[in-house]
Amino acid sequence: MTREALAEELAGQPEGLFTEYVRRWKESGGKVIGYSCLIAPVELVEAAGLLPYRIKALGSAVTELADAEMSLYNCSYCRSCLQLGLDGTYSFLDGVIETNGCDHMRAMFENWMHRVDPPFFHYLKAPHYLRDDALEYFLGGLELLKRDLEEHFGSEVTDGALERAMEERARVRELWRDLCRLRELDLPTVSGSEALALEIRGSAMLSSDYASLLEDFIRERERAEGRKPLARLMFCGPATDEVAWFAELEAMGAAVVADALCFGTRAFLPEPPPGDDPLRRLAEGYLGNLFCPRMYLEYGRRRDLILQTARRARVNGVVYLYNKFCDLHGVDSALLRRDLEREGIPVLVLEKEYSARADLGRVKTRVQAFLERIGGEAAWKGASS
Amino acid sequence: MERGFVLREGEGGFERAVGILEMIDKFPDALSDEDVEGAADFVYPDLRNTVLGLLELPSSRQLEVLFFRRVLRIFREAQRAREEGKKLIFIPFTFPPEIFWAFDNIFPLCTEIVAGAIVNICAGQGERFWDFAMGLGLPDSLCSANTIGTMNLIHGPGLKPDAIVYNTPGSCNPNAKIHAFAADYLGIPQFTLEKPVDETPRGREFHYRGFLRFLRELEEWSGQPLREERLREVLELSYRAVDLYNEYWELKKARPCPVPNIFGMSLLVLRSQMWGREEAVEVLQRMVDISKERLRRGEFTAEERARVYFAYIYYLFDFYNYFTWAEKNGVTILGDILAIHHFPEPDLTSMDSMLHMLADTAFDYPMTRQMGASSISVKWLEDISRAANDLGADACIFGGVHACKHTLGTISYLRRELMRQSGLPTLILMGDVMDKRHLPMPMFQEEVMVFVDQVVAKKRQSRRRRRGAGGGCESEAPAPPEGEAGERAV
Repeated sequence: MTREALAEELAGQPEGLFTEYVRRWKESGGKVIGYSCLIAPVELVEAAGLLPYRIKALGSAVTELADAEMSLYNCSYCRSCLQLGLDGTYSFLDGVIETNGCDHMRAMFENWMHRVDPPFFHYLKAPHYLRDDALEYFLGGLELLKRDLEEHFGSEVTDGALERAMEERARVRELWRDLCRLRELDLPTVSGSEALALEIRGSAMLSSDYASLLEDFIRERERAEGRKPLARLMFCGPATDEVAWFAELEAMGAAVVADALCFGTRAFLPEPPPGDDPLRRLAEGYLGNLFCPRMYLEYGRRRDLILQTARRARVNGVVYLYNKFCDLHGVDSALLRRDLEREGIPVLVLEKEYSARADLGRVKTRVQAFLERIGGEAAWKGASS
Repeated sequence: MERGFVLREGEGGFERAVGILEMIDKFPDALSDEDVEGAADFVYPDLRNTVLGLLELPSSRQLEVLFFRRVLRIFREAQRAREEGKKLIFIPFTFPPEIFWAFDNIFPLCTEIVAGAIVNICAGQGERFWDFAMGLGLPDSLCSANTIGTMNLIHGPGLKPDAIVYNTPGSCNPNAKIHAFAADYLGIPQFTLEKPVDETPRGREFHYRGFLRFLRELEEWSGQPLREERLREVLELSYRAVDLYNEYWELKKARPCPVPNIFGMSLLVLRSQMWGREEAVEVLQRMVDISKERLRRGEFTAEERARVYFAYIYYLFDFYNYFTWAEKNGVTILGDILAIHHFPEPDLTSMDSMLHMLADTAFDYPMTRQMGASSISVKWLEDISRAANDLGADACIFGGVHACKHTLGTISYLRRELMRQSGLPTLILMGDVMDKRHLPMPMFQEEVMVFVDQVVAKKRQSRRRRRGAGGGCESEAPAPPEGEAGERAV
């Protein structure tokens, strides 16, 4: 992906949801399945010969149709996504997989079901714990999804096809880790907003093509010269696809050298373990490595992962951002701020409205103040000594 | 008198509420109007509306003194629980308490009932604890009921639980997260049960297995196994209460309704905290007896102008201006989502049968059943329309709570379908369950009265006209002409 192409993504608009890639896929007779939450295993969709497409809003702040269905106390990201379903922008989707990610998302999908009535609608019900019985239940859910995909789209999902899809996805994960290494360099050659743009583009592609995109991009950036940022930040939080918003924050001089975001590194954590049964491996990989606040009895794992990443990336501070009314991330952020600051890592918690340009000035002021507080590299040295 | 929330040394909100209940405990059994007026004048404003809400109307007075006393009894026992070798466990209002009463050495206290006591009894109405939560960096979109309840624990001093239970992962994010947060923050064990968003046999089986594991964990933690005989005793008491609940429900159908509005709040407290104990049976029996007697005598507080079913939950921070005010203005509150129970057929023959009963009760517990359904909107609609139609509601009111994103995200569907399928108009309000700052009571009253005057009254009139034209039997007393709302308490 060239700098020019990235710039296009950075200026993403809702009309960009129907990408050239998706258009070509549809023209060749391919079907597209929308999903929203990371718990939906894209490998299974790909193994059915379908294109998994992660539903997003690309910064669209218009929600008038969605507001007639959901309240203003619902997450504006979910309302923006629903809006694009209701206004026909997502009419290219041949089906939708609902997942019970959070209360907002469940409401979004219910309204999608009632008002859009897509040709294929499947509810993948994911437990909220990682326990043996939860794993078996989730495995059963994947079997039901597989069966429904096969029946509706008339394509058998063989073990061989699933294994191949898993290998291709594994390659994407490996490349994402390579990308992260470039972000974490002392002189990063990849910015946080570029990584976000890549994931937004990649989450509407087959894994094999996403891998090629990443390979090209990494090859280019391995040779590039990095720039020393004013401060090294890690961003944590839920699904957000506001690339332009990220870019504006990075333009203040800080680099987002690591993240634990839904459209970011957390999308690449569900790694299937080795084994003979591919569906079981998928179930274990996804349920066991979601690292999302929707999972209970796992706060310690989430905290440790963030702490470990922050240390490895030598960040000066962590910014935990979430959209207004997101209770899952809102509550986690309070615990994380306490625990990370105890470890000497400054934390800024930013509650914001999705894609509200009017909010940007306030947010930039707070980020600027945070950057002044943490004082860049000197602060990190102080914390680690 | 100091108007703020006064905490004495070593006291938290819970202890303060108990202290004030001790004072109320000294009230005589039979209170005259003058006694109630005197008591209301004696206390600070926040408690005044609780005293008046429970005691002003003769219809509820004789019940609510007993109710207060039984709440106090439970709270006192909670304070002594540790001395008596019991472990104190906080549970949410979405979980059947009888499960915990069946353990010899576990004492359950319902988070939201404690919060309700603090809000309705203590000066300042628990705002101190809400503000404390904000100080910890928690989001302001949480639920005041469980946030005030859990923050009282973290804030201290005072009562501290030995463990926290929650069963709302997946059915209510704010509830589950704040309970988990409190357990993490306090460093105490947390026990959880997931109700999957799945009503199929597969979902029920997953839930049942989880329920058994949940019980095993409680047994290991408490160091005592669940005894079959004790469980049977508790379930026998539970089902005596169920029989009375069914009678209570039938009484609600009468026109005009003889059941005082405030009984809806009492039922919630009985179900969330006392079910499985003698106190629930005793208070419910009194509720049924009073309602039957009122029906027999034809005693009603005001002419019934509207029968409304609350599609969600009540606002519970001002009993007087909510329940009493509605009753005085002829607005019968038939129930809310928390009043809709689905008790399985009792089978106390074996440990296995009783455990299945309990698991099914938990699965179909109010709110857990609807918000934890595979479709919130469809299950919610199904239950509300059945209840509203069964009780002869004229309309529904949705008292929206800013924390409850599941219902806020699906209320449009519910309102549309209630009208389309049952002809029931729905008033949508936005407020909060225990924090008055979101929707002050005068605004609530104005909205409800306009709805009753403009929508419900016209609907009743047109129904009467249709019946008249068809030669049907007219059983309802004629509604007062528009604009003549009768006496209104504001």
